Amino acid sequence: MSLELIKDILLATVPLLVIFPSLFAFTTWMERKALARIQNRIGPNKIGIPCTRIGLFGLGQPAADGIKMIFKEDIVPRGADKLFHLLAPILALIPAMLILCFLPLEFPWGKFMSGQVQAFLLDSAVIFFFAISGLATLAIFMAGWASRNKYSLLGGMRAVAQMVSYEIPLVLSAVVVVMMAGSLNAKEIADVQTGFNWFVLTPWGLAAFIVFFVAALAETNRSPFDLPEAESEIIAGYFTEYSGFKFALFFLGEYIAMFAISGLAVTLFLGAGDGPFLAVAPWLSVVWFIAKIFGLIAVMIWLRGTLPRLRVDQLMAFAWKFLLPLSIFNILLAGMSHHVTVAYPGTTAQVVTWTVSLVGMYVMAKGLDKISRSTAKPREYLYAE
Amino acid sequence: MSILGGGIFKGMAVTLRNFVGSYFSKERFITTNEYSWRPESELPQSIGDYPKEEGEQLSDTTTVNHYSRNFPMLLHDTGEPMDTIRCVACQICERECPPQCIYIEKSTEKKENADGKPQFYPAKFDIDVSVCMSCQICVEVCPFDAIVMNSQFELSTPDRFGGLLVRRDDLLKSNDYYHKIHPQEAATRDERMAADKAAKEAKKKAAAEKAKAAAEAKAAAAEAANESKEDTE
Amino acid sequence: MTQEITFWVLAVIAVLGALVAVRRRNLIHGVFALMIFFAALAGLFLLLLAEFIAAVQILVYIGAVGILLLFAIMLTERVTGDDARDITSRGSFWGWVAALAVLVFLLLPAIQSADLPQTTEPYNPSVKALGQQMMNPYVVTLEVLALLLTAALIGAVAASQGGEKKKEDADDA
Repeated sequence: MSLELIKDILLATVPLLVIFPSLFAFTTWMERKALARIQNRIGPNKIGIPCTRIGLFGLGQPAADGIKMIFKEDIVPRGADKLFHLLAPILALIPAMLILCFLPLEFPWGKFMSGQVQAFLLDSAVIFFFAISGLATLAIFMAGWASRNKYSLLGGMRAVAQMVSYEIPLVLSAVVVVMMAGSLNAKEIADVQTGFNWFVLTPWGLAAFIVFFVAALAETNRSPFDLPEAESEIIAGYFTEYSGFKFALFFLGEYIAMFAISGLAVTLFLGAGDGPFLAVAPWLSVVWFIAKIFGLIAVMIWLRGTLPRLRVDQLMAFAWKFLLPLSIFNILLAGMSHHVTVAYPGTTAQVVTWTVSLVGMYVMAKGLDKISRSTAKPREYLYAE
Repeated sequence: MSILGGGIFKGMAVTLRNFVGSYFSKERFITTNEYSWRPESELPQSIGDYPKEEGEQLSDTTTVNHYSRNFPMLLHDTGEPMDTIRCVACQICERECPPQCIYIEKSTEKKENADGKPQFYPAKFDIDVSVCMSCQICVEVCPFDAIVMNSQFELSTPDRFGGLLVRRDDLLKSNDYYHKIHPQEAATRDERMAADKAAKEAKKKAAAEKAKAAAEAKAAAAEAANESKEDTE
Repeated sequence: MTQEITFWVLAVIAVLGALVAVRRRNLIHGVFALMIFFAALAGLFLLLLAEFIAAVQILVYIGAVGILLLFAIMLTERVTGDDARDITSRGSFWGWVAALAVLVFLLLPAIQSADLPQTTEPYNPSVKALGQQMMNPYVVTLEVLALLLTAALIGAVAASQGGEKKKEDADDA
């Protein structure tokens, strides 16, 4: 292994390991602030510069949280499987960090690299992304099982069922983009979309983006799909028995996974680093990319502040009876609109494909919704109304 | 025909309004401060200043408190709290409580309640604040309408061992106070209780009348039988 | 040199993972050891520049088969995994002997006599080439496979529903 190669690898990976964890700290602050404002509270506002009364809108909160997490006692339950209890948070973080490599983030220092070591240049980057992000399920199950706590195990089982179910609509909605771009290479998919040819601006792309985003919410256990960690039902789900730094690792892993999957959504549908002024300053592409990720994260936080949690049966029905048929139908529509626009170039064909696709999708969604409503029985409660 | 997913956008509009509004109007913060209607000079400065008088935490200006439920309280009717307490220490709530935070000790002898009926009463009725999860199941299961939710939520205390266990006498609140904090709920509850009582009495009366009628009929029948017996003889 | 070191590290991990998977009495440990084996195998595929196969190996074997195994174990009573011992049996010695015999007398001669292509040129099929192969010469095979899988899926659904119906009938009777 030559020095050149080591330098290249460091240049490709270290920025990711620095940028995203710092963004994580900022995101926790942003999330707490936004949720507080949604609930008419102020949110963290005390901790700013130490030893002064300057609050800086509570921007010091993540640092204070981090210090607290590190110094907190690490408790391992007596009946726990010690090895797995230790491994689970590490295993939760590793895939999340790994899949960041498959995002086509082209840093300006890329030109100092002698070879092509960036993972997003792989021919099958998108498949790798899905394959490795699926490993997070195992970590969650491991945590739930190793804690030897019924709530943890319930959370772990819920997580496995949920993540396995939602991976399918997630992948199927990404398939459309792979079909249209004709490549699994993240860089090529990004390049196809330059000049505002974003896939979200096509009828099938829009539908796929919505399905993808919903499935991504479930995949990262975000509200309203946060059943694996539902506080009001199973305490904290799979990380009930975790404290201190191990808990922080889970937390970090969860947020990094959020960044990664938002990053994939940006790559596949929102034109990756595409944006204005790129001709003047090419380095802006990274800024656009991260700004778009933050846009998606903001929507996730907004949704978390808005929607109540789903029930388990609703969750499963939604994945298998709604999103899955919808994404398969979308693949058909995408093929149709591609061939129509190739055969008949012109605005008329464009308009026709837009109308047919959107109306078709809407009718399909409405029909699926109606079917699921007609078969679903209202749940009977003993105490509440 | 409603638009698919329209509810989500509606909800998001509401939260967005709250998000933006919280930067512009101070009144929005009213839900998170029990004392928000007071001028700043009168706000509690230290723990000792926290008023614990009945109804003190209520603002006249906000209706939000009418829907807030935080911690259970025991109801008594007008009169001396312990003379008119509704709770009969049946311990249903203690058994139903999911986190098991209610501790009841039944009295040894009976005492007259507000209706003048001799009943048991709780010699001890403690609820642990640190365990209670505000689920309101105790309220749902109580057959005597003796336990309802209070909306007082500034329950912090400097004493973490004794102070977090709220004793019977602190839990006791009058029905008038209940009317003050949850007017609608209290009114419907009173109405229902009155109706139940009336129905019970009517039933009792009907039963008594029925019994009386049955007794009379029996007597008449017996008489008739006697007469017929006599006739045959 | 680097490649050789990587190969041996991955090979040792794979063999150890497989051994642990077989010998652990704790089923969950066994499944995770099996997944380590799968992961090491994916690493070996990567070393052979078969990146697509490596990705599919992770996706299918760890992401699907492994999780299916976990699901199956969760339905059994052994989910707690109290038993930390390894599986031991009196016949294990003869088992080892049989396995070694197979290795020495069957596999090694087979490998030695096999006419493996000796090439120094790295063969790096792109995903595109793979896809074109699948869609052109092998398209019939692919479609037949797809049909078979669909039939299996429908069969599974039918079987699970039939069972429920039977149960309902039994309840009615």
